[in-house]
Amino acid sequence: MENISFRTTVLPLSDRLFRLALRITMNRAEAEDVVQDTLLKVWEQRNEWEQIDSLEAFALTICRNRALDVKKRAGRNNTSLDKIDSVQPSIFNLQSSIEEREQLSLVRKFMDELPEVQRSIMLLRDIEGKTYQEIAQTLDISETQVKVYLHRARTKIKERIWTINT
Amino acid sequence: MDYKYIEQLLERYWECQTTLEEEAILRNFFRQEDVPASLLPYRQFFLEEDEMASERLSKDFQDKMLRLVGEEAPTHICKARRLTFMRRVRPFYRAAGLVAILLTIGNAAHQSFTDDAEDIKAAQMAEGIVADSLQQITIGSPEQQSAELTAQPVDTISTLPR
Repeated sequence: MENISFRTTVLPLSDRLFRLALRITMNRAEAEDVVQDTLLKVWEQRNEWEQIDSLEAFALTICRNRALDVKKRAGRNNTSLDKIDSVQPSIFNLQSSIEEREQLSLVRKFMDELPEVQRSIMLLRDIEGKTYQEIAQTLDISETQVKVYLHRARTKIKERIWTINT
Repeated sequence: MDYKYIEQLLERYWECQTTLEEEAILRNFFRQEDVPASLLPYRQFFLEEDEMASERLSKDFQDKMLRLVGEEAPTHICKARRLTFMRRVRPFYRAAGLVAILLTIGNAAHQSFTDDAEDIKAAQMAEGIVADSLQQITIGSPEQQSAELTAQPVDTISTLPR
């Protein structure tokens, strides 16, 4: 395996871990704490780095578990997209920047209201550009499950976007 | 413009049948301003994902982490410089230029040395010719004198003072 060091291999994962933690905790300060804990945990395991297939998948898994713990402790429960009231459809003038921003945040709202596993999978696929295999490894589920969750998430988003524009 | 391909890609995207490369094509398409009305509603979704991708930790986070694991943050920043091809081969040009200058100087010195030697040789030859001529002149005169002397017999008695 290539020469692995904390500075050159582990630390560059920080932002990626932060985005995942942020998608789960929905809080920047908590997400930063999660990343710090994750990196320290990875550092403690440094004697085993050579035996780990993907240090990134390893770190992402730790990060997700830590973030879920933090969220659980905080007692927050994100409302599932299925349970929320349907957003009032409105006519958008897409040429207006203000309304465009509103719609932008509305789309973010839809994404944030997805169940955690769907949200995490969507982030890993769409934003971090991970393959189904890498996502399955990180979340410790099968590739088929990854595709099923992702399909559900995208379908919900598509339906929501369709609803607000008709 | 025909957006059939994009529409097909989008449909496959929602069905999770696109590759990462095809998803990148979609993302790039929706980043542009000129999107047809039929596809405009989905633009916000892709722009939102772009915004999420730009979320970063604070700048001092990495320094803090390095301190926590006992590694010091670098005291100086080494910036990688992008070198153009011309800048990369510049040392070779310089070396070639230096060699050319040295060769020119060497040739000039050699030429002038050769010329000097020829000049000396020519001067020596000229000197030799002059010396020979002088010697001939010096040698030739007493002979002529003696020849003249033998041609005119000297009357010693008459010449003797009385």
